[in-house]
Amino acid sequence: MSDNEYVVQMKGITKVYPNGIAANQGVDFHVKRGEIHALMGENGAGKSTLMKILFGFEQPTEGEIIVNDEKVSLSSPTVAIAKGIGMVHQHFMLVPNLTVAENMVLGMEPKQKNKLFIHYKKAVEITEEFSKKYNLYVDPHAKVRDIPVGMKQKVEILKALVRGAKILILDEPTAVLTTQETEELFKELIHLKEQGYTLIFISHKLNEIKQITDRLTIMRSGKSMGVYDTAEISKEEISRLMVGRDVVLTVEKEKAQPSDCILSVRNLEYTNEWNKKMLDHISFDVRAGEILGIAGVEGNGQRELVDMLFNLSVPDRGTATVNGKSIIGRPQKEIRNLGVSLIPEDRMTFGIAGAGTIEENLMSDRAEDKKYNNGLLFNLKAMHEDSDRLIQDYQVLCKSRRQQVGMLSGGNIQKVVVAREFSSEPVLIIADQPTRGIDVGATEFIRKKLVALSRAGVAVLLVSADLNEVMELSDSLIIMNNGKITAYFEDTAVLDDAMMGEYMLGIKQQSPEEIGGVVHGK
Amino acid sequence: MENKRQSMFEFFRGFAAIAIAILVAFILILICADDPGKAMECLLVRPIFSNGAINLKSILTIFARMTPTIFTGLAVCVMFSANQFNLGGEGAVMLGGFVAALIAIYIPLGAGVHILVAILAGTIIGGLVMIVPAVIKVRLKASEMVCSLMMNYVIMYVVLHFLNNVFADRSKGATQSYPFMSSAVIPKMISNTELSWGFAIAIIATVTVAFFMYRTRWGYAIRMIGINESFSKYSGMKVGGMIVLSQVIGGMLSGMGGAIEVLGRDNTFLWLNLPGYGWTGITVAILAKNNPIMIPFAALFISYLNRGCELMSIYAGVPSEMIDIIQAVIFLFFAAEHFLAGTRQKIVVKDAKEELQKKEVAAAGEGGNK
Repeated sequence: MSDNEYVVQMKGITKVYPNGIAANQGVDFHVKRGEIHALMGENGAGKSTLMKILFGFEQPTEGEIIVNDEKVSLSSPTVAIAKGIGMVHQHFMLVPNLTVAENMVLGMEPKQKNKLFIHYKKAVEITEEFSKKYNLYVDPHAKVRDIPVGMKQKVEILKALVRGAKILILDEPTAVLTTQETEELFKELIHLKEQGYTLIFISHKLNEIKQITDRLTIMRSGKSMGVYDTAEISKEEISRLMVGRDVVLTVEKEKAQPSDCILSVRNLEYTNEWNKKMLDHISFDVRAGEILGIAGVEGNGQRELVDMLFNLSVPDRGTATVNGKSIIGRPQKEIRNLGVSLIPEDRMTFGIAGAGTIEENLMSDRAEDKKYNNGLLFNLKAMHEDSDRLIQDYQVLCKSRRQQVGMLSGGNIQKVVVAREFSSEPVLIIADQPTRGIDVGATEFIRKKLVALSRAGVAVLLVSADLNEVMELSDSLIIMNNGKITAYFEDTAVLDDAMMGEYMLGIKQQSPEEIGGVVHGK
Repeated sequence: MENKRQSMFEFFRGFAAIAIAILVAFILILICADDPGKAMECLLVRPIFSNGAINLKSILTIFARMTPTIFTGLAVCVMFSANQFNLGGEGAVMLGGFVAALIAIYIPLGAGVHILVAILAGTIIGGLVMIVPAVIKVRLKASEMVCSLMMNYVIMYVVLHFLNNVFADRSKGATQSYPFMSSAVIPKMISNTELSWGFAIAIIATVTVAFFMYRTRWGYAIRMIGINESFSKYSGMKVGGMIVLSQVIGGMLSGMGGAIEVLGRDNTFLWLNLPGYGWTGITVAILAKNNPIMIPFAALFISYLNRGCELMSIYAGVPSEMIDIIQAVIFLFFAAEHFLAGTRQKIVVKDAKEELQKKEVAAAGEGGNK
């Protein structure tokens, strides 16, 4: 068949970001005219980067893009829109204080005869016309801040259509919707498809993909794992392709000898500002000397859980104690004084002060300690000595302790964070994505340190979306899906990728008794 | 070293801002001066050099006029370091000066002690008023900038009310207070000049603030909060308390500056308007890039230009407001993050590329295949 069966062809797309992360490596992505094509993969697999390239937000380092048989260079979203590509963002790009009609025509406003003022009536007419034509009901006069999420999404879709899009990219459109809204959206999408539109649907929700897509492309670690007809591939197969393991870095560790419960979490519940239940009766214990892993596709409540444990937000209900003392709602200083350390997921926001020196960053949790103060003034000698020692022990590659942390590479920044958090004599370490986006050497180093500390009697809670990491490091493991614990494995040795995938994507769920095994204390 | 290239660039950027400001001043002088050559000479040379000899008296005047802006510069420096854009220095200066003046007039104390108590009172009142915008910021999340800016006018009119209706010396033609007791007047460092011992206190304050910011746990916390508040919170610092502290210290320094200026300059309280030192302090702090040690140098520079403009208006008929124009232009270019941003971006990209290349070479050396 000739090429024009395909409306979009991305060939050999490689994208290397300035920080050196290769988000796409030789990805081929072909979409047929008039289909709903799913782009699947875990967070960080490179889906978003690929779509940003298609929408002109990012420029590929290598590769070519063919839209409607024409080789194109999508240098900006404006160019992409001109080529008939529209994008519906996960986080809506709407102006809350303007009405639906005003948002609809933003940047292409119909003008009054005097060319000065916006022709509001015409904007409303345009909105109504498109709304009717595509069966997407919206209220043109309502202010965007007042309308429900489902309608905002329709406004986004209509916005793209008004601008002449024939190819629509939908970035996790159902992430913010209720079940009913999702059903409605799917009807509308199928209606659009019948009218000849091509839809690219980004998601990692298997049921939805099965329900409405024709074909799907799976991505993992920046590479395409192939294109499949949705009808011909099983959910299990998809999950295996999505969350399989690649490079296996093994860390040798002795068998854990868990002793006392250090962290006890009971019935934590949290509903976020969009009324989505992010944590649903979460209970578990972490004992001294063991690493408890929390696996799961990102966005299933892990971040919220960690936030609660370090008082970066407060749960609706439930308790969490460290050695019997509550840590919910306590100041961070107090939590730290109980011996809790945290490697934060977002290291640039919480882990470091980028414009500060390495030394200043190493001392942030202990600058008030007696050891580093002589009365009113800092004991600089003690600070310098300990900083230099930490830099050496944790192999931070730098010119000196006076160097700005922000100038270091990702791996070395993380080593600074880890050096600080591991050296405060913790009884509990919460490691949230401790090796995300850093080089192999630093990854191995951090993993080894983590294991060594746990064998020395520290309780470790490891949250990671990296399957390899949680399976390698954890002694026992819980899996989270949709705010709930769906499985607990006392021994990670029995696990394989396929089983993990099924629990992570919510295909399977253990009985409450099995999950209850993670609660060791009374 | 990449770092060095970028900091060299920052230096050049500052220099360019000053150069452009003076250039703008030149153009305006050309337009409005009868004798531009003479005006330029007044602006640039005469503050230190006149009639073929070094003018020591004028130099000492420049030093004397630096005194209050060193204090307000330090105040802004502390507050901006915590990322608190508090503009209340102006009000704190006026109130600090006024309270010090009242003590100097009405409370008889022994020599030495009197000065000390008056300065201390000005310092404390300056710190106290800054609690208002600081606490409103921390508790209610209202912008400290708007709040402190408005507070300046509240303070000014309150001070003027009391000066006019309660404390005015009716025997004088102009509105002013009664004269200070001689025990409260800060003596001159060198007699028959404007330079009082207040200047020495300003230098001591500079060193103290520098130590505070870089050698104590509170200064450290203030700086870290200024760089990254989330990080500081996560690290266990008392973010709210430190934000309040930074502004209280800013207020205290401003109040002290006001007190010292009032007690060291004239022997009665004469301010009928916001004195302007708070604003100049912002320019000074920006010039010094929030580095306390650089504050006196920045203050010297501004004071020099001020003196130049003054001489220009006396001898060359150029309006003395010229100093405001020069300051405003420096301010604009210094504060404008995007001034020369294109060049800066190029330098950053170049550095990043070199770094990447180095890494690739290193990786190839190890036989890596990433």
